[in-house]
Amino acid sequence: MSLSDPMFYAYLLVLVAGFLPTDVFRFAAVLFSRRLDEDSEVLILVRAIATALLAGVIARLVLFPTGDLAGVPLWIRLASIAAGVAGYFLIKRSVLAGVIAGEIVIVGGAVLFR
Amino acid sequence: MTEQVQNGALPADAPEESARVWFWRGAKAGLLSVQGIVLFAGFIGFGGLIRDIGFPLGAALLSTVIVWALPAQLLIVGGFAAGSPAPVIALAVGLSSVRFFPIVASIMPMIRGRSGLGTQLFASHFVAVSAWVESIRLVPPLPAYARMPFFLGLSNYFLWGSVIMTVVGYLLAGTLPHALANGLVFLTPISFLLQLIRNARDLIDRCALIFGLALTPVVAQFGGSLDLLWIGAIAGGAAYAVDRWKRARA
Repeated sequence: MSLSDPMFYAYLLVLVAGFLPTDVFRFAAVLFSRRLDEDSEVLILVRAIATALLAGVIARLVLFPTGDLAGVPLWIRLASIAAGVAGYFLIKRSVLAGVIAGEIVIVGGAVLFR
Repeated sequence: MTEQVQNGALPADAPEESARVWFWRGAKAGLLSVQGIVLFAGFIGFGGLIRDIGFPLGAALLSTVIVWALPAQLLIVGGFAAGSPAPVIALAVGLSSVRFFPIVASIMPMIRGRSGLGTQLFASHFVAVSAWVESIRLVPPLPAYARMPFFLGLSNYFLWGSVIMTVVGYLLAGTLPHALANGLVFLTPISFLLQLIRNARDLIDRCALIFGLALTPVVAQFGGSLDLLWIGAIAGGAAYAVDRWKRARA
């Protein structure tokens, strides 16, 4: 077992470059929120930031995908999102219905246009 | 036996059920959740990817358990394949995982109930986007004592299910047609978006969602690895400002 062994190196990466830089933020957040009340003003702001961050993650996955998905044209990706939102609102606000509608468009579009 | 005695002593209150009961209720809620299906599909994709790259399955499974953040895991595996130096990978993972700070900080006061600091630190490891989205919807009606075991049941179901799906994806690798593989990857943005819409009951949530989506292509023009943080701070801050203004007028 040494650093030059790629198998051992993969485990080391998971621990040092994965676990540590991820859970440090989870633990810090627990300490930060310890004295905050469930309805406090700071938490309203923090939750808005978390929601906006997630919106950014979603938009990036759709607009700037990596890997194989980048081969699917942008208009199909946007049409899939539109179909998903339409399916959600038209069919009893069901997340499952929206997901299925969006998936039909993206998979169908990938078959026809990529 | 003792439970019956306690219940007899507290006739006015609803009887408290054990943590184990609430743990299993949380797991069952995960089983019925669309988010769970989507999450598992994502980990099937991850399992397929590591086989293509030649990343060891054991290390990938370990990453699902101790990192528990798919974007960070993709950065590790991608960095490994590209031969990037470990400090560079660690920095990229850290930048992508900063998002857990607002996510954990916003949910912990809701789920902690009566639990102590040690339990909260342990539980925080299980917080990921999937469990955050479902907990914000399902936890608020629960009594305080039930919240932590319910959350742990839900998030443990998600985590260990994802470990199994990593193996499934590894075994399935290369057998899926391109279009279906694209569909698996696209499940994540569609379902995240629809669940944020479902959870956006108040003005502030709607504003944060719309501002965050709209700001992404703008911020992307400037590039840089910190763009998600800018989106969170600017769009989240603006949504909060709108909400404050509305409340002040009311």
